[in-house]
Amino acid sequence: MILKARIALTGLLLAATLVGCSSNVTLQTPTIPRPLTEKMPVSIGLRMPPNFQSFVHEEEVYGRSEWTIDLGNANAALFTQLFGFMFEKVTVLNPDDDPQLLDIDALIEPSIDAFEFAVPNQSNSESFAVWVRYRLRVYDAEGTLVSNWPVSAYGKSETESLSNSEALKRAAILAMRDAAALIIMKLDATTGISAMADRETPAAAPAIEVPPAAAAEDDVQATIVEE
Amino acid sequence: MQQARDVIRIQLIILLGLALGGCITSRVEDAREGMTGINEGESVVIMAKSYHLGNETEEDYINCIENALSRGSKGLRVIPHRQFVDSLFPWFEPRTAPAETKNLPKLMQRPGVAEQIAQQGVRYIIWLDGDTERVAGGGSLSCAAGPGGGGCFGFAWWQNDADYNASVWDLEGLESAGTVSTDVSGTSFLPALVIPVPLIARTQSRACKNLAGQLQSFIVNEAA
Repeated sequence: MILKARIALTGLLLAATLVGCSSNVTLQTPTIPRPLTEKMPVSIGLRMPPNFQSFVHEEEVYGRSEWTIDLGNANAALFTQLFGFMFEKVTVLNPDDDPQLLDIDALIEPSIDAFEFAVPNQSNSESFAVWVRYRLRVYDAEGTLVSNWPVSAYGKSETESLSNSEALKRAAILAMRDAAALIIMKLDATTGISAMADRETPAAAPAIEVPPAAAAEDDVQATIVEE
Repeated sequence: MQQARDVIRIQLIILLGLALGGCITSRVEDAREGMTGINEGESVVIMAKSYHLGNETEEDYINCIENALSRGSKGLRVIPHRQFVDSLFPWFEPRTAPAETKNLPKLMQRPGVAEQIAQQGVRYIIWLDGDTERVAGGGSLSCAAGPGGGGCFGFAWWQNDADYNASVWDLEGLESAGTVSTDVSGTSFLPALVIPVPLIARTQSRACKNLAGQLQSFIVNEAA
């Protein structure tokens, strides 16, 4: 009986030790402010990979601790809101939708190439840093790939006034916001997407249904955004 | 009993000695490039230079300067930096913010930028760069506890340097009005004879007070 109690106690202590070495961070859905830019008169389709709805990054910081960062649907929300601000019409595609049947000028397909972070011990500072490398593939109305653009973004947040997990969350949000700023500034120059509005497109297709998880919290509430 | 009194006496002597010794040295100076002044309804914004450029100015320090500048009967109207950055998204993000005054005319021509700045009455943008760093330290301190009680013995010290520079941009003339800088060095001590007595030099607070005071004079242009 005593032996069983000791084993149980040891197990509990071991579990407590292991839990103490791991950190879980869950990001709330981020929003970006309405940008001071004019909308491009382009109708785009937005096709996002499945991991944009539930992105989880796990990493063991060498010899120290294990981190799990759950971005949830933050990426889907960010890109839906961002393109809603940038283009006159945004249609979020379901995985089975054929973009050729839709009345769009271009199709944008974002994805994540890499997600990395550094904790203060690694950078020998008081800050958490997050790097995200997105990739934007832009197709014209005929489905031809016209641009394959890697977007590298960076965010940094100090731990002085925030807890470790809050600082990491803020760094991640700042990295996503940095990506949004870069895309607003450079998307047209890099991909020439605004010129695609003039091209001839197939006949208009019926509107598609709204995937609930794709809707952002702020201005973009539905799959089809039109102002 | 006598032993306890001796310990207290020694601690008091050390405390007195350290209190009398200067723990903080500071310097503040400005370099004016143009006339300044601020009218009623006009405001200032405190911003940190971009961390993309390696700047590490602490959020706490920016908040401290904002509070210090807006405090008192002569306080300036300060727009919170996050509110300003959000209202001008994406043009004052770490990646996109103008690095020099020569970029201002182009920025002001972007849709909505001049209107947003005018709406908030922003006359000056103050760009901070610099940080507070521990540059030296030493000594040793050990503590022990037993059935009869516990205590610490030893002496530790560390030195922090706070160097900050503020560039003042005048949005009326779209030009630099000048710079204000402060350099504060503070040494903290931790002597311990049974009880540790921390004597902390508030280096960053002093740097905040110095810079905010000088910035206020600089902008209001009390000398004029």
